[in-house]
Amino acid sequence: MTHPNIESWTRANAEHTDARAEEAWAREEPDWGVWRVPESELHALPDVTGKDVVELGCGTAYFGAWLKKLGAARVVGVDPTPAQLATARRCNEKFGLGLEFVEAFGEDVPLPDASFDLVFSEYGASIWADPYKWIPEAARLLRPGGELVFLRNSTLVILCSPDDENAAASETLERPQFGMHEFQWPNSGIEYHLGHGDWIRLLRANGFEILDLIEIQAPADTATHEYYGYVTADWGRKWPAEEIWRARLST
Amino acid sequence: MASPPEHVDVNRALWTESNAKFTDADAEVQWAREEIVWGAFEWPESELRILGDVSGLDVVELGCGTAYFSAWLARRGARPVGVDVTPAQLETARRLQERHELQFPLIEASAEDVPLPDASFDLALSEFGAVLWCEPDLWIGEATRLLRPGGRLVFMRGSTIMNLCGDEEHANDRLTRDWSFLLDRMDFRDEGGGIEFHPPTGVMLGVLRRAGFELLELHELLAPADAETHPHYDFVTADWGRRWPSVEIWVARKQP
Repeated sequence: MTHPNIESWTRANAEHTDARAEEAWAREEPDWGVWRVPESELHALPDVTGKDVVELGCGTAYFGAWLKKLGAARVVGVDPTPAQLATARRCNEKFGLGLEFVEAFGEDVPLPDASFDLVFSEYGASIWADPYKWIPEAARLLRPGGELVFLRNSTLVILCSPDDENAAASETLERPQFGMHEFQWPNSGIEYHLGHGDWIRLLRANGFEILDLIEIQAPADTATHEYYGYVTADWGRKWPAEEIWRARLST
Repeated sequence: MASPPEHVDVNRALWTESNAKFTDADAEVQWAREEIVWGAFEWPESELRILGDVSGLDVVELGCGTAYFSAWLARRGARPVGVDVTPAQLETARRLQERHELQFPLIEASAEDVPLPDASFDLALSEFGAVLWCEPDLWIGEATRLLRPGGRLVFMRGSTIMNLCGDEEHANDRLTRDWSFLLDRMDFRDEGGGIEFHPPTGVMLGVLRRAGFELLELHELLAPADAETHPHYDFVTADWGRRWPSVEIWVARKQP
């Protein structure tokens, strides 16, 4: 049986991400999440010049492509969905950026210990892999002093998301926070969401110092995303639906 | 000398009134307690294990109110100094110091400007004190100045989600306030309250980092099964507190 997340992302690739990948690869400046907030406003990335980067849950690897353009020495995209990696490989040939790809889940990455300076995830392993497994993998893959940067949904937007995954986040707390971890939405894959206290405990337990947490509000002129409709732009202007964490492995 | 910011006067007036209505009488109960407990739902320190052994530590409590927490620490061998801006609460604290024969310094000052020397404490503590009523960059700047290298800062405050769901009576399951409400001072004077500060998690982390702290722990507390809604601090019901974190405790370390 195919893993529900591979099934879900094979479908999403056919419906949306394959068609959008080339345009995304072509962009010069990184932008973040569904509101596409530019990196120049958020300053969430460390200097990647000359760095070895692994992207966990890279999808079509547009963010890895941007990191390569910013000067990363090596970018390895890891994703469990063959269809997304096929799109990523096609773009990689077209743009000639020299990324490498590995088909694997973020929880179990067939790459050697202490071989990267940056572990990165934007809506990849950060929500689709079990944090109690992928955060230890991130720590294992990093060299001492290496950084971990990931974007995930805010805990608040998950608490406000109705069980029907086609309905956008409401202004009501739909579920308790205590006990939150694994989410199986109907007709979708398996996601993982924790509260801030649990994230901090997990990162600390794996040797990370927490450098930054950027809770992103949607810019005034943003429209609701045409495909990722889990939250409206109006909601996203009132409360952060996404957040970026930055942490550094102790030396 | 510049006059103190508006919130200092407003909050002093609020706590002078609150002391007459509630904290003066409540201080008798709190000072008599053997056990250290945290917050309105009375989480026992013996279960949370936030503080560890405090024996021999120099502790400054920023916004100590009636100083019951400092009293609990003094009984365990710490050397506390209580700092508060409201004379009425310090008067209550002094009365209880005499009653319990437990003397430690009490200083009338805002936690934003503390007349104590640099690098003279091992632990800076605020339990719904400075963390709620003072400008974050200012009081945390004072905390880092007062601490020795490697010293700890521990504070307890309401959770971000509780503040977003806050209502005139108590928090409900609706997002009644926008995020932007938390990014500035929160002015509750229309509802009979004071001026509070609640930077959300990411912003508070930034304040701590800029001041030279490393974040060690964030405890989001689940109300105990047998907790009851507090008769005075009823901004949240026990039932709400069993579904979402109503309060949180932060632990940070000044860089060694």
